[in-house]
Order: sequence, then C-alpha cells, then structure tokens
Amino acid sequence: MAIKLGTSDLAKYPFLNEASLYVKETHFDLQEFDRMEMNFILDRSFVKIENFLKNGETNYTLEKFEIEILTFLASLLILKSTSIEILTKKFALLESMRFEKYLIEDLKDSFKDERKRLVLLKIFNEVFKINIYLEKIVNEYYKIKVVDYVKRSVHFHEEEWKLINRSVKDGYVYLNANEIVRLFRNELSLLIVEKVKNMKLATFPNQVINKSQKLKSYWETVNRTYNINYGPKKSVTPPCIQHLYDSIENGENLPHSARLLLATFLLFSGKSIEDIIDVFKKLPDFKENITRYQLEHLSGKKGGSKKYFVPSCEKIKLEELCYQTNVCKGVINPIQLLKKN
Amino acid sequence: MIFLHDKKNNLKDEYEDGNINNIGINEKEYGLKNDNNNYLSSINSNQIWLNKTFKKYYFNYFSNIIIPEKIHLREFGFRQFDGKVIRHLSFINSGELYAYLLKLSPSDIYCSSSVYGNPKESMDKKEWLGSELIFDIDGKDLELDCSIKHNYTKCFQCNFINKGVLKRCGNCNGSKLSVIDIPCKNCIFFLKKEVIKLMKFLTKDFGICSKDISIYFSGNNGFHIHVNDVNYYSLLSIERSEISSYIMGKGFKLESLGIKADKEKKFTIISKNKQFLDIGWRERISKSIKFNLSSIKNNNNDGLIKHIEKLENIWNCSFQQIVLNTLQDLSVRIDPVVTMDIHRIFRLNGTINSKSGLVKIVCKNIDEFNPFIDACFYEKLKVDIYSKVDITVFFKGRRYEINTGLNHIPEYVAVYLISKGLANINIKET
Repeated sequence: MAIKLGTSDLAKYPFLNEASLYVKETHFDLQEFDRMEMNFILDRSFVKIENFLKNGETNYTLEKFEIEILTFLASLLILKSTSIEILTKKFALLESMRFEKYLIEDLKDSFKDERKRLVLLKIFNEVFKINIYLEKIVNEYYKIKVVDYVKRSVHFHEEEWKLINRSVKDGYVYLNANEIVRLFRNELSLLIVEKVKNMKLATFPNQVINKSQKLKSYWETVNRTYNINYGPKKSVTPPCIQHLYDSIENGENLPHSARLLLATFLLFSGKSIEDIIDVFKKLPDFKENITRYQLEHLSGKKGGSKKYFVPSCEKIKLEELCYQTNVCKGVINPIQLLKKN
Repeated sequence: MIFLHDKKNNLKDEYEDGNINNIGINEKEYGLKNDNNNYLSSINSNQIWLNKTFKKYYFNYFSNIIIPEKIHLREFGFRQFDGKVIRHLSFINSGELYAYLLKLSPSDIYCSSSVYGNPKESMDKKEWLGSELIFDIDGKDLELDCSIKHNYTKCFQCNFINKGVLKRCGNCNGSKLSVIDIPCKNCIFFLKKEVIKLMKFLTKDFGICSKDISIYFSGNNGFHIHVNDVNYYSLLSIERSEISSYIMGKGFKLESLGIKADKEKKFTIISKNKQFLDIGWRERISKSIKFNLSSIKNNNNDGLIKHIEKLENIWNCSFQQIVLNTLQDLSVRIDPVVTMDIHRIFRLNGTINSKSGLVKIVCKNIDEFNPFIDACFYEKLKVDIYSKVDITVFFKGRRYEINTGLNHIPEYVAVYLISKGLANINIKET
C-alpha cells in the first residue's frame, strides 16, 4: 500500500526521496541561499554543526518541514564546500543520532498508529532496503529477516547482539524499537556521507562558502595539535594497523573490533594513553572521557588489573581486518612485526 | 592457503592457490622403509586397480553425479591417484565435465559451493558472486567411545597398522600416526542424530524450506548439508560464522532466558515483556530443563529463586551448569570452519570418496539411509585382496569376516578396504 509522507515526517526525515522531491517541485535554486531571507537557514545549519563539533550537543527541536529540509540541504552544502571528509562523517553521525531518536519514538507509536507504521515500513524499505514486520503476538516488537540482522549485528562487539542471544523463529529475529534503530545507525550515517559525496556543483553560493570557511578555520585550529608521528611507516607498522591509521586519516568510523585492535597494539608498542587519545580524536564519534576509560581498562590500569592482549592474526582475519602482505609471512600476531623490526 | 574439505586427514591437503603440488605420502619425509620395493609396488597396483574401478563407476553411474546449478560459474578441482591436485577448473556444461573426468580419471572430484564471475582465475581475481550455505558433520567431532575401539591407527614410520586409536605405534613406538576411520552402526546413528538436530535449527529457527536443504552422506564418516536458499547466498564468512555459532550454542548468555544472576548468584527476572518471546534457543533450553518463567506469578523473584533451587536439586548442580550442559546436548556438532569458508571446494555430489570408495550420495530418507548399502555402487564379482588386518565389515546387508592374508571377496568390499589402506589388491600374474 503506497503511503504519502506527511509534513511532520518530512521534517523529521529530510534525507528521504520525497524531501528531495519537494525541493525540486518548488524549483528552489541553490543560489537562493545568497538571499538575505535565507541567512537564518544558513545560520541554523552552521550553529548545529558547530555545536556538535565543539560540545557534542545535538538539538532535537523540530521546526516546520520546509525549514528542516532546507537546513539539512544547507548543512550538506556547507560540508561539501569544506571538502574535509572527517567533518562530513562527524556531521553524519550527528544527524543519524537525531533521526534515531525520532525513529524510536515513531516505532513505539506505530503499534497504535497504522499510518505511522506504514511510513516506517516505507522508510526502512527505501533507506535500508529491507522489510520490517510488526510482531502481532507480542507488543512493541518488530521482526526482521535473520540474514538482514546478521549482516549488521556482526559489527557489534557486545554479546547481546550475537544471534544466539536473540529471539529467532521461522527465519526472523525479534527486536524492539531501540534495538532496530541501533542496528541501522551505521547505515544511516553512511547514507548521509553518500549524499554529500554525490553532490555535484559547479559553484557554491557565496554565503555557503563563507560558512564553510569559518568551519574550516575552526577545524584546522583544533586539528593542529593532533599530528602524531606513527613512526616510519614501512619499518614498524603491520599492514592491518597501517590500514586503520589510513582509515582514521580519512575520517572513517571504525568498528569496535578495529578500535580494540588499534588500541591494544598501540598500548603494547609503548604508546601512552594520551598519545592514543590523540590518535582516536579523529574518529567521528570520539568522546574523550569514554575513550580514556576504555584505554585505562585495556591497559589494566583499571578494572581488576586485567591487561588485554593484541588479537591474533586469526582473530583479525575473522573480523575482516586483515590486509596481509609479504611482511606477514610466518606471523601469527601483529606484535611480532614490532619485535622483528 | 585453501583447504580441501577432507582437511582432517593427516595427509594434509594444503597448497598454494594456483599451484599444483604433489600431495600424498611423502615417503622420504616419513622415512618409510622400502621392503624389497614391495610396499611401493603395492601402492602402484592399488592405485591402478582403484583407478580402473572408479572409472567403471563413472562410466556406469554418471547419472548419480548431481550437476550443480550454474555449473559454468563454479570452480572445480580434481585430485589424481598420484596425489596431484588441479584446481581452478571450469566447465561449460555436464558434457565437458564428463569428458574431462573420463580423460583424467581422478580419485576425487571437488566443486565450489560458491559461484564466481571468473571461476578459472586465481582466488583474488575470481569475483565471488555468492555461495550456498554448507554444514559438515564429521564423525571425528563426535568423539564417540566406540570409535577408539573399532578405528585403526597407521604408523608412517614402520607402516604398521594398529587396532584402535593410539598415540604411539604399538610396533615401533613412533608418533607419526594417522587414524583410519571405520564407522560402525553406532557412529552412523549418532551422526544422523546430529543431522536431524541441524534440520530442526534450519527449518524452525531459520525458516528454511526443507526443499532447499539437501543432505548428503560425505562418502566416508559424515554428512554434508547443503542449503540452497537464495536469502543466504550473499552472506560473508563472518556472517556465516555467526550462523554456525548459533547452531553450536556458542556465546549464550543467561540473560537470554529472561533472568540474570548477580555476583552472589541471586537471580532476578528481567525483560517482563520478552517472556512472551519464548522461541529459539530460549524455548529449546526452557523446555528441556522444564524452566517455566511464565509460571511464576506476578514476576515474583522469590518464586523464581524457589523454582531454580528446585531445578538445581533435581539436576544436582548449579543452574548455570544445567544451562551449559543443556546447550551442549542440544547444539549441533558441526565444523564451523567449513561453514564460514566461502572459497572451499566440496566433494561433488554423486562422486567417489577415495578415502573409502563409497560415494557422496543424497539421503532422501535420513532415518533409513545405510551408507554400506546406499553409497556402495560396485560389483558383486569377487576379487582377491591381501588384508593387513583382521576386520569385520558389513556391506549390502551381509557380514564379511576378513582375516589377515588372502581373502576372496566382492569388489565392493575390496574397494573399501583398499581405499582405507587396510588391504592390497592381489592381482594374479598370468
């Protein structure tokens, strides 16, 4: 059954195709962002990005759908104009957290609201290319296919996400609203990054350029202190670790297993917790207090003095983090390359 | 490094991609004595005879071979009697496969569970397009008590064949040993039990249609279960590993039963609403140990503790141990490496397993399947063999008592014993 999204839906989910269609149908020209009347949209976008970068804050207040859609579009333009991939990824995380909140609320309401349910089914189908089904026997549960679940859950470290700890029947896994949305958080973030990547513009509106330059200089100031000498690349760095360094430089978000590998390796190689925090600062979802807490645990300084060892090559391969080259011959743990060198 | 399916044989089937390596008994490495060349010449006679016999099977029973869908996108591998392995083969149709088979007369034929854009290329250039979901249940993994008694152990140092499974050769005390599996009725019974358990997981939990699941006797000491459900085709290794962990009962948390224990092992009820989702592993375990959370009125924790204490008294161990034991009993002993390896090649269905001479054949009725009847396709005509051991075997419903020395037995028994390395063909000189 085809369902048309309402204005409140478009306000909450401006990344949907129907939102783009609205912009097209109103014949909105991007150069209109240079008009004075549009300043408040650009200011709104800029403040949103800046608050998140500086303070990790997000704002969930919704305005009219036209404002939300244009704010979202302006944000994408500003980020595209900066050409700094890390910023795009951080923004993508910000927005995905915002949309997550709306999705969870809507999913919970959908048990009583048929229309809302259909809108959500449409969103999951359009954005994530999967179908979710309402579980009729038990309240507040949806179900998705086992394969759709497993493809995403393998990237979660926590035991609760393992398939064996889920309710599974007839090819479906049963999840509540929080769980379903959490499962798709990464894809939501990637969707936004793709939107920025795919934007093709000959010129940017001047006001957009102004905002992006402000953002750029803020980022460069903050980023200046984060230069870390990782050591001569060829002599000491195992290929799997080098790949993680490169991913961080590209502003990519690393899965938990990758972070664990990098952190334990850096700890073992003698880097201090402060040095390692500086490395992780470039991750889109970096939070210093959490990172510090985790590093202190990994190093054995807290949590019963248990020190975590660097994962073996076999485990690294299982997590699909292996990028072996000839240097890896005969190696069963990346630390052997440290010792070799 | 790519492993052939029969990896557990001490003749390790391990080789580099794209290279043809000579794999087999390396007599120099194992220091085998050449007893007036008799040992070496008997290997050759056996190979020649088996080659001829296998060829006869393929000529008469080619229709047994189940040609996989999209054959032109699959990688094939042939192992020859001298141990050489050829991989990265590809055939346009069954006719081409048949012609190649008759030309090369392989001892074993393998086919990928995956389909590739370029099956002939090296692994990094093959362009993987998807794979069936495969499970392997092997007798070795069941660790049955009976197998220690009825299997044999071959010593590579002195060539002696010991009865039973040993850590040292009874003849020369050597440690370079290889176990020869001779599965008995009991082994087959327990293997089938694991297959049936697996089928329940696949149909009830994963919702896979029975028509998409094929059960094959491996041709030696196990079963392969092939799932041809398109939903599972695109799963990567790590995702398949998650499926096999589920089936093997790995990583189960007590909280998944709807309760949790604190440090003092005091139990409390959690997730009130989830109680109604009594399905999957939760249902399995709860039913098995008669743990009934919904019977506890008003989610009363005292009621829960009493219920658990009652169970602990019945089972005479802690609740956590009860759950662990139950997981072990209800899980399936599959080989997880086989399931997650999307680049593995498997014995082609309907072809001979050279370890036993039996055929990897489909089991239409697992309960009634008898490998020593249904997987045995040789002739009644009698041949002479020189047996190295005393052994009793059952074939086609008949019992055969084989004594050390010369025996005059049907071809199908001879193939089995020679393939197992327990006998040599005795070809009369004319």
